[in-house]
Amino acid sequence: MIQFWEEHKKKIIAVIAIAITVVALFLGGKNLNASALESVIGFVVTPFQDLTTGINSWVESTAESAQDKNKLLEENAHLKEEVAKLQDENKRLDQYERENESLSALLKISQKYPEYKSTGTRIIAKSPGVWYDTFTINKGTGDEVSANMILIAPGGVVGKILESGINYSKAQSILDSRSAVPAMSLRTGDLGVVKGDYSLMDDGLCKMEYIDGEAQIAVGDEIVTSQLSEVYPQGLSIGKVTKIETDTNGLTKYAVIEPFVDLKHLDTLLVIDKNTMEENP
Amino acid sequence: MRIIVTTAVVLINFILQTTLFQYLAIQGIFPNTALIIVVSYALLRGSKEGCIAAVCSGLLFDIFFGTAVGFYALLFLGISYFTGKSQKNFYRENYLLPILFCTVAAGIYESIHFITELLLRKDGDILFFFVKILLPTIVYTAVVTVPIYRILFGLNEWLELKEKYKYRLF
Repeated sequence: MIQFWEEHKKKIIAVIAIAITVVALFLGGKNLNASALESVIGFVVTPFQDLTTGINSWVESTAESAQDKNKLLEENAHLKEEVAKLQDENKRLDQYERENESLSALLKISQKYPEYKSTGTRIIAKSPGVWYDTFTINKGTGDEVSANMILIAPGGVVGKILESGINYSKAQSILDSRSAVPAMSLRTGDLGVVKGDYSLMDDGLCKMEYIDGEAQIAVGDEIVTSQLSEVYPQGLSIGKVTKIETDTNGLTKYAVIEPFVDLKHLDTLLVIDKNTMEENP
Repeated sequence: MRIIVTTAVVLINFILQTTLFQYLAIQGIFPNTALIIVVSYALLRGSKEGCIAAVCSGLLFDIFFGTAVGFYALLFLGISYFTGKSQKNFYRENYLLPILFCTVAAGIYESIHFITELLLRKDGDILFFFVKILLPTIVYTAVVTVPIYRILFGLNEWLELKEKYKYRLF
């Protein structure tokens, strides 16, 4: 056995290397759920990451709470006011909804903004380095979370899930330079693709590319996901335009987008499953 | 014993690097401590053991943060192989060489990232890369290398002492 290994060492290593390359080629780029080995490693590593992040945020929060009690009291009063305001507004919106329902029933329009089933989750680890922006969350296939589901935070889209293990998932934010989200301007309906860019990533901005040169898009427009995506459902808000420039080819424009969500300081998120709509009570 | 200690070092570094060290970043930049550990390991123990450590930590990165398996593993493997080749030519008690090797490795690591980005997406801003990414990373890496190399050097000494008694080598 050992003699055989010594004789054909180079050939065996070459065959193994080629086999790994072929497997990687066929599996690469597809968003599958994690394999058994990956799940096992995730099962070992993620609890510790969860723990470290937990200790981290605990230390941070206790330090903060000890630091400025007055500030918190002030904030509490402010938030109470806001809650009262929002409750009032909510009642008003309820009325609008009922009115809307009755009117659309009259017009026989189907519901445009469906509600999706959602799961709350927490970020437990972030990818090191400046190039990409992927992170790990603490829900996996055990919690009915799987690849290609969407992550949102109050305000807008955060990203999508690339891969799910049993108790963790790998997610990619919209700032990552490998991510691309078909989008459109809500006001004018101009189509484009929101992509990450590593030179804008540190400021928490991204880029909307391939906008038509004749488009009437302007600074301050709201950008939402378009109907052209297979992964992202239509009409989720992404951000607003802060700058518009013409590309070097002169035919298309690109816009710099400021996402509504502060993607650099995220903690808790919602995973939504676009295939299951929540039953209206 | 050595296997257990090495695995623990790689895993603890991975857990810390993805959670705690993110808060120590200056302008979004923190040196890749996994790369420093891999290079130090190759310098202390030669290319063979360096390569094993490199593939293990590279695969961890691939599994948790990569889109295709093998990118980080190959990158770490290549860097630690060439570092390990020069292991016999210098005294490892010296601090200057690990710092030099780690900064060069960090430079190569970031450059390869930049080149793949440039080739695959043709949107490379070379001035931004040099001023905002490459230079800060190199300076920061040089600073962080010293404590990490010291810890690994101490661990290695301790392990070698234990192994010497166990196998009665000398």
